[in-house]
Amino acid sequence: MAPKRTPAAASSAAASGSSGPVSAPSPQTTAAPSSLSSGPKTLTTNSSIFDIAHTVWQQYLATTPQRTLLLDAFMAFLVLVGGVQFVYCVLAGNYPFNAFLSGFSAAVGQFVLTASLRMQTSSPSSSTTSGEEGAFADYVFGSLILHFFCINFIN
Amino acid sequence: MAPKGSSTPCSGVTLKVRPCVAIGDAIRAHTGYLARGYDLVFESPKSDKLSLFDLGEKAYDHLLILPPRSKGFGPALSPKNIVNFINQDGNVLLALSGKSTTPSAISSLLLELDLHLATDRSSVVLDHFNYDTLSASEKHDVLLLQRPGQLRPDTKDFFGGEGVLALPRTAPHTLGDTALLTPILRAPVTAYSYNPKEDLSADDDVWATGSQLALVSAMQSRSSSRFTLLGSAESLQDQWFSATVKVPGSEQETGTANQEFAKQLTAWTFKETGVLKVGKIEHHLAQADITAEDLNPAIYRIKNETVFSIEISEYSNDKFVPFEVPANDALQLEFSMLSPFQRLKLEPSSRTENSTIYTTQFTVPDQHGIFSFRVNYKRPFLTNIEEKHEVTVRHFAHDEYPRSWKISGGWVWIAGLWSVIGGFLAFVFVWLYSEPTSAKTKKTQ
Repeated sequence: MAPKRTPAAASSAAASGSSGPVSAPSPQTTAAPSSLSSGPKTLTTNSSIFDIAHTVWQQYLATTPQRTLLLDAFMAFLVLVGGVQFVYCVLAGNYPFNAFLSGFSAAVGQFVLTASLRMQTSSPSSSTTSGEEGAFADYVFGSLILHFFCINFIN
Repeated sequence: MAPKGSSTPCSGVTLKVRPCVAIGDAIRAHTGYLARGYDLVFESPKSDKLSLFDLGEKAYDHLLILPPRSKGFGPALSPKNIVNFINQDGNVLLALSGKSTTPSAISSLLLELDLHLATDRSSVVLDHFNYDTLSASEKHDVLLLQRPGQLRPDTKDFFGGEGVLALPRTAPHTLGDTALLTPILRAPVTAYSYNPKEDLSADDDVWATGSQLALVSAMQSRSSSRFTLLGSAESLQDQWFSATVKVPGSEQETGTANQEFAKQLTAWTFKETGVLKVGKIEHHLAQADITAEDLNPAIYRIKNETVFSIEISEYSNDKFVPFEVPANDALQLEFSMLSPFQRLKLEPSSRTENSTIYTTQFTVPDQHGIFSFRVNYKRPFLTNIEEKHEVTVRHFAHDEYPRSWKISGGWVWIAGLWSVIGGFLAFVFVWLYSEPTSAKTKKTQ
């Protein structure tokens, strides 16, 4: 999941015209590009990892459109919900299995749909025929089908 | 059920029930123990009129074959005919005698049933410890034996009782390992087989000794027709019914129990005892109110709680009585599809005047398909029960599963699903409300 978000975030940052590369808030992935950063706070090659992460985070907050932030927050929420369900399945067993499949796949499926919405809305360079409203309508339609299947399957 | 007739051979003759054929002057002496409703027809074994079949059907219910005076039997009593007679549910009591050589036709008939005679076919059983001192003080060829008890602890005892059996000049046989054969009376360990016509010294290698030798044996075919081989035809004669005998070493003279044993033996062979009848068979769901429509449904669902009951009677001499499974034995129900998924002991649940109802309750296995309730009860001396009733076992219908919230283990996932949906709705609302700013931001950038 993390790798998926990384290019999306990067592309959105690039599209927004910000001079510094914005990446996922993961210190490892941001370590290399940080030397090229030209954000509000200048980093040196001696900056600590905490500083780097903090700068990246600030840049992310400052340069990301609100809707993309909203998408990211929702996706983080889905990761959390899916993770909790998976951990519960590992700890407590998979009975009733259909409930696990249903609950977990709802979280995963919603995440995938949301990610695709993010890809379509956060970068104008990506050529979508339907535009942002069309992408959102597709997203709602797909989500409703997903919820319908999951509710049915969980019985 | 009641045997209709029997034919008795006289000295060396055949006896059949319905028409029972008996030949020669020995007949009368041989058939007193059958004076209980049998319609006896006596025929000479070589008679031209004698035929076991009439228009392809068996002409007699039962057949009693006594050793012939002549050397062999006529064409009507060929081994093939007798086997056919057994196959058509006819019952045969065959008596041999050590006094005469057994005809080769009989020998080959017995071979077909896996009963083996001595190769010389004229041996008798001797025992120097269990002979009658009054009638055979020299030859030791009249055996005095206790009445046979139970064959095994888990079988019924049809031949037991008090008293001593006198078996004069017995032709012994040995049993093959067919499961259909059952010994009724074996020779004592001190007995051996001896051919009086041969020189003693020639008897170096003995064919069989001791309790290897069977004196009375029974074969019950898979269709439950019965064949009994009695080694001593003489023991059925009136003279031995009333004889007085004395065991060596004993001061006391006793009467014989031959008459009673002959009665038991013929009663068993001619299906007056040990005949099982299955009455009604019921199976249904285990619930309180069972109406006629709920009985014997053609379809069950997996994990149904099911009750099966079977009613069994036993014919005993002249009436049906409740059948009781012998101690140490069990009547079992199998619920099987190719192989049994359940094999359960059937317990007596109630008794009527002439039957016992055996019942068991079980949960249908978690496997759908075509199953059958089977009762397969095959025991020595009892006629076979083989019942098979097919039912369909279906899986749960889609609306028979418990609803998701009934299973507390799934609550976390249910909560997960609904929080995803709730989160989605909240997201959509916020998304829609955030449009202006978002659009502006996008445009300015």
